[in-house]
Amino acid sequence: MFKYQHSSGSGSFSWVVQRITGIVLVIVLIGHYILMHYNPQSGHTYDAVLARMQSNWYRVLDLTFVVLGMYHGLNGVWSIFRDYKLKPWQTITVVSLLIIFGLAFTLWGIKTILDIPYVSTYSVVNLVH
Amino acid sequence: MHQVKMFDQRNWVKANLNYRKDSGSKAWILHRISGIALISYLFLHIYSLSPLSQGRAAFNAKMETFGSPFFMVLEWLLFAFVLFHSLNGIRIVLVDWADGARYQRQLFKYSVVIGLILFFAMGYIMFSHEINHLFTSL
Repeated sequence: MFKYQHSSGSGSFSWVVQRITGIVLVIVLIGHYILMHYNPQSGHTYDAVLARMQSNWYRVLDLTFVVLGMYHGLNGVWSIFRDYKLKPWQTITVVSLLIIFGLAFTLWGIKTILDIPYVSTYSVVNLVH
Repeated sequence: MHQVKMFDQRNWVKANLNYRKDSGSKAWILHRISGIALISYLFLHIYSLSPLSQGRAAFNAKMETFGSPFFMVLEWLLFAFVLFHSLNGIRIVLVDWADGARYQRQLFKYSVVIGLILFFAMGYIMFSHEINHLFTSL
Protein backbone atom coordinates (compact mmCIF):
# COMPACT_ATOMS: atom_id res chain seq x y z
CA MET A 1 0.00 0.00 0.00
CA PHE A 2 2.81 2.41 0.86
CA LYS A 3 5.08 1.12 -1.85
CA TYR A 4 5.61 4.52 -3.47
CA GLN A 5 5.59 6.67 -0.37
CA HIS A 6 8.97 7.51 1.11
CA SER A 7 10.46 4.93 -1.20
CA SER A 8 13.71 6.87 -1.41
CA GLY A 9 14.32 7.31 2.31
CA SER A 10 12.78 9.40 5.05
CA GLY A 11 13.76 12.75 3.56
CA SER A 12 15.56 13.76 6.75
CA PHE A 13 18.73 14.62 4.82
CA SER A 14 16.95 17.10 2.58
CA TRP A 15 15.20 18.49 5.67
CA VAL A 16 18.54 19.31 7.32
CA VAL A 17 20.05 20.64 4.08
CA GLN A 18 16.97 22.85 3.55
CA ARG A 19 17.61 24.52 6.93
CA ILE A 20 21.35 24.91 6.41
CA THR A 21 20.96 26.38 2.89
CA GLY A 22 18.21 28.63 4.25
CA ILE A 23 20.50 30.08 6.94
CA VAL A 24 23.32 30.61 4.42
CA LEU A 25 20.90 32.27 1.96
CA VAL A 26 19.61 34.71 4.61
CA ILE A 27 23.19 35.77 5.42
CA VAL A 28 24.18 36.20 1.75
CA LEU A 29 20.87 37.98 1.00
CA ILE A 30 21.59 40.66 3.64
CA GLY A 31 24.86 41.44 1.85
CA HIS A 32 23.14 41.27 -1.55
CA TYR A 33 20.46 43.77 -0.52
CA ILE A 34 22.93 46.21 1.07
CA LEU A 35 25.12 46.05 -2.05
CA MET A 36 22.24 46.49 -4.50
CA HIS A 37 20.06 49.04 -2.74
CA TYR A 38 22.09 51.00 -0.18
CA ASN A 39 23.19 53.32 -2.96
CA PRO A 40 20.33 53.37 -5.50
CA GLN A 41 22.48 54.94 -8.20
CA SER A 42 25.51 52.64 -8.17
CA GLY A 43 23.94 49.39 -7.00
CA HIS A 44 23.31 47.62 -10.26
CA THR A 45 24.60 49.56 -13.24
CA TYR A 46 26.64 47.68 -15.82
CA ASP A 47 29.85 49.37 -14.62
CA ALA A 48 29.21 48.50 -10.98
CA VAL A 49 28.63 44.84 -11.88
CA LEU A 50 31.69 44.79 -14.16
CA ALA A 51 33.88 46.34 -11.45
CA ARG A 52 32.68 43.81 -8.83
CA MET A 53 33.13 40.87 -11.17
CA GLN A 54 36.84 41.65 -11.58
CA SER A 55 37.19 39.90 -8.22
CA ASN A 56 36.95 36.14 -8.38
CA TRP A 57 35.65 36.13 -4.81
CA TYR A 58 32.52 37.93 -6.00
CA ARG A 59 32.15 35.45 -8.84
CA VAL A 60 32.43 32.49 -6.47
CA LEU A 61 29.95 34.13 -4.06
CA ASP A 62 27.42 34.73 -6.84
CA LEU A 63 27.85 31.20 -8.23
CA THR A 64 27.21 29.80 -4.73
CA PHE A 65 24.20 32.09 -4.38
CA VAL A 66 22.60 30.90 -7.64
CA VAL A 67 23.19 27.21 -6.93
CA LEU A 68 22.02 27.36 -3.29
CA GLY A 69 18.99 29.52 -4.15
CA MET A 70 17.90 27.17 -6.91
CA TYR A 71 18.41 24.07 -4.76
CA HIS A 72 16.57 25.55 -1.77
CA GLY A 73 13.72 26.85 -3.94
CA LEU A 74 13.12 23.73 -5.98
CA ASN A 75 13.52 21.46 -2.96
CA GLY A 76 10.90 23.66 -1.29
CA VAL A 77 8.52 23.29 -4.24
CA TRP A 78 9.03 19.53 -4.16
CA SER A 79 8.29 19.45 -0.42
CA ILE A 80 4.94 21.13 -1.16
CA PHE A 81 4.11 18.43 -3.73
CA ARG A 82 5.15 15.76 -1.22
CA ASP A 83 2.28 16.84 1.04
CA TYR A 84 -0.14 15.40 -1.52
CA LYS A 85 -0.48 11.76 -2.34
CA LEU A 86 0.85 11.77 -5.88
CA LYS A 87 0.53 8.86 -8.24
CA PRO A 88 3.87 7.45 -9.44
CA TRP A 89 3.56 9.03 -12.91
CA GLN A 90 2.78 12.38 -11.31
CA THR A 91 5.86 12.12 -9.08
CA ILE A 92 8.04 11.30 -12.08
CA THR A 93 6.60 14.22 -14.08
CA VAL A 94 6.96 16.79 -11.29
CA VAL A 95 10.50 15.72 -10.34
CA SER A 96 11.59 15.63 -13.99
CA LEU A 97 10.23 19.11 -14.68
CA LEU A 98 11.84 20.55 -11.54
CA ILE A 99 15.21 18.97 -12.39
CA ILE A 100 15.14 19.96 -16.09
CA PHE A 101 14.07 23.60 -15.54
CA GLY A 102 16.23 23.91 -12.41
CA LEU A 103 19.35 22.62 -14.15
CA ALA A 104 18.72 24.70 -17.29
CA PHE A 105 18.31 27.97 -15.39
CA THR A 106 21.17 27.21 -12.96
CA LEU A 107 23.51 26.56 -15.89
CA TRP A 108 22.24 29.72 -17.60
CA GLY A 109 23.02 31.73 -14.45
CA ILE A 110 26.47 30.15 -14.11
CA LYS A 111 27.20 30.89 -17.77
CA THR A 112 26.12 34.53 -17.36
CA ILE A 113 28.43 35.03 -14.38
CA LEU A 114 31.40 33.33 -16.07
CA ASP A 115 30.89 35.21 -19.37
CA ILE A 116 31.25 38.68 -17.81
CA PRO A 117 34.59 39.91 -19.23
CA TYR A 118 37.75 40.63 -17.29
CA VAL A 119 39.03 44.07 -18.19
CA SER A 120 42.34 45.72 -17.31
CA THR A 121 42.49 48.08 -14.33
CA TYR A 122 43.16 51.00 -16.65
CA SER A 123 39.94 50.54 -18.62
CA VAL A 124 37.85 49.99 -15.47
CA VAL A 125 38.96 53.44 -14.26
CA ASN A 126 37.98 54.84 -17.65
CA LEU A 127 34.61 53.11 -17.57
CA VAL A 128 33.73 54.44 -14.15
CA HIS A 129 34.63 58.04 -14.95
CA MET B 1 -26.43 13.92 19.48
CA HIS B 2 -22.96 14.43 18.16
CA GLN B 3 -22.92 14.98 14.45
CA VAL B 4 -20.23 13.43 12.33
CA LYS B 5 -18.72 15.87 9.86
CA MET B 6 -18.46 14.29 6.45
CA PHE B 7 -15.80 15.15 3.90
CA ASP B 8 -17.33 17.42 1.30
CA GLN B 9 -15.54 16.99 -2.00
CA ARG B 10 -17.24 19.87 -3.80
CA ASN B 11 -16.46 22.47 -1.13
CA TRP B 12 -12.94 21.23 -0.49
CA VAL B 13 -11.17 24.54 -1.21
CA LYS B 14 -13.72 26.51 0.78
CA ALA B 15 -13.43 24.13 3.74
CA ASN B 16 -9.65 24.45 3.64
CA LEU B 17 -9.81 28.22 3.65
CA ASN B 18 -12.41 28.36 6.41
CA TYR B 19 -10.78 26.39 9.21
CA ARG B 20 -9.69 28.44 12.19
CA LYS B 21 -6.14 29.63 11.72
CA ASP B 22 -3.62 30.08 14.50
CA SER B 23 -0.43 32.09 13.96
CA GLY B 24 1.32 28.80 13.14
CA SER B 25 -1.00 27.90 10.28
CA LYS B 26 -0.95 31.47 8.95
CA ALA B 27 2.86 31.37 8.96
CA TRP B 28 2.80 27.96 7.26
CA ILE B 29 0.57 29.07 4.39
CA LEU B 30 2.36 32.44 3.95
CA HIS B 31 5.71 30.63 3.92
CA ARG B 32 4.52 28.51 0.99
CA ILE B 33 3.06 31.43 -0.95
CA SER B 34 6.17 33.59 -0.45
CA GLY B 35 8.41 30.60 -1.28
CA ILE B 36 6.64 29.99 -4.60
CA ALA B 37 6.87 33.73 -5.37
CA LEU B 38 10.60 33.75 -4.60
CA ILE B 39 11.53 30.74 -6.74
CA SER B 40 9.47 32.24 -9.58
CA TYR B 41 11.40 35.46 -9.13
CA LEU B 42 14.74 33.62 -9.17
CA PHE B 43 13.88 32.22 -12.63
CA LEU B 44 12.96 35.74 -13.79
CA HIS B 45 16.13 37.12 -12.18
CA ILE B 46 18.38 34.71 -14.09
CA TYR B 47 16.53 35.50 -17.33
CA SER B 48 16.65 39.28 -16.85
CA LEU B 49 20.35 39.38 -15.91
CA SER B 50 21.45 37.07 -18.75
CA PRO B 51 22.31 40.03 -21.10
CA LEU B 52 25.21 40.80 -18.72
CA SER B 53 27.30 38.45 -20.83
CA GLN B 54 26.39 40.30 -24.06
CA GLY B 55 27.88 43.63 -23.04
CA ARG B 56 26.76 47.04 -21.91
CA ALA B 57 24.23 47.87 -24.65
CA ALA B 58 22.25 44.65 -24.28
CA PHE B 59 22.23 44.94 -20.49
CA ASN B 60 21.13 48.59 -20.45
CA ALA B 61 18.36 47.84 -22.96
CA LYS B 62 16.99 45.17 -20.62
CA MET B 63 17.37 47.38 -17.54
CA GLU B 64 15.41 50.13 -19.31
CA THR B 65 12.31 47.99 -18.77
CA PHE B 66 13.08 46.78 -15.27
CA GLY B 67 14.20 50.19 -14.01
CA SER B 68 10.77 51.75 -14.61
CA PRO B 69 8.76 52.97 -11.58
CA PHE B 70 6.26 50.13 -12.06
CA PHE B 71 8.99 47.50 -11.70
CA MET B 72 10.59 49.42 -8.81
CA VAL B 73 7.33 49.14 -6.87
CA LEU B 74 7.15 45.44 -7.75
CA GLU B 75 10.74 45.09 -6.53
CA TRP B 76 9.73 46.69 -3.25
CA LEU B 77 6.78 44.30 -2.90
CA LEU B 78 9.16 41.42 -3.66
CA PHE B 79 11.14 42.55 -0.61
CA ALA B 80 8.03 41.92 1.51
CA PHE B 81 8.07 38.28 0.36
CA VAL B 82 11.82 38.06 0.96
CA LEU B 83 11.41 39.50 4.46
CA PHE B 84 8.56 37.22 5.47
CA HIS B 85 10.27 34.11 4.10
CA SER B 86 13.59 35.02 5.78
CA LEU B 87 12.17 35.94 9.18
CA ASN B 88 9.73 33.03 9.27
CA GLY B 89 12.56 30.78 8.05
CA ILE B 90 14.60 31.83 11.09
CA ARG B 91 11.51 31.12 13.21
CA ILE B 92 11.24 27.62 11.69
CA VAL B 93 14.92 26.90 12.42
CA LEU B 94 14.45 28.08 16.02
CA VAL B 95 11.36 25.88 16.40
CA ASP B 96 13.24 22.88 15.04
CA TRP B 97 16.60 23.34 16.71
CA ALA B 98 16.27 25.74 19.64
CA ASP B 99 13.12 24.71 21.51
CA GLY B 100 11.28 27.47 19.66
CA ALA B 101 7.96 25.62 19.88
CA ARG B 102 7.60 27.14 23.36
CA TYR B 103 7.75 30.71 22.03
CA GLN B 104 6.72 30.35 18.37
CA ARG B 105 3.71 32.68 18.76
CA GLN B 106 5.90 35.52 20.02
CA LEU B 107 8.38 34.76 17.24
CA PHE B 108 5.59 35.13 14.68
CA LYS B 109 4.64 38.53 16.14
CA TYR B 110 8.27 39.67 16.17
CA SER B 111 8.66 38.49 12.56
CA VAL B 112 5.72 40.61 11.45
CA VAL B 113 6.83 43.71 13.42
CA ILE B 114 10.51 43.52 12.36
CA GLY B 115 9.40 42.73 8.81
CA LEU B 116 7.15 45.81 8.60
CA ILE B 117 9.90 48.09 9.97
CA LEU B 118 12.47 46.76 7.48
CA PHE B 119 9.92 46.92 4.64
CA PHE B 120 9.32 50.65 5.11
CA ALA B 121 13.01 51.33 5.74
CA MET B 122 13.79 49.63 2.41
CA GLY B 123 11.03 51.65 0.77
CA TYR B 124 12.77 54.84 1.88
CA ILE B 125 16.19 53.62 0.71
CA MET B 126 14.91 52.42 -2.68
CA PHE B 127 12.92 55.56 -3.42
CA SER B 128 15.15 58.03 -1.54
CA HIS B 129 16.32 59.59 -4.78
CA GLU B 130 12.72 60.24 -5.88
CA ILE B 131 11.68 61.39 -2.38
CA ASN B 132 14.59 63.86 -2.12
CA HIS B 133 13.87 65.08 -5.63
CA LEU B 134 10.22 65.66 -4.68
CA PHE B 135 11.17 67.77 -1.64
CA THR B 136 13.83 69.83 -3.38
CA SER B 137 11.46 70.62 -6.24
CA LEU B 138 8.76 71.95 -3.92
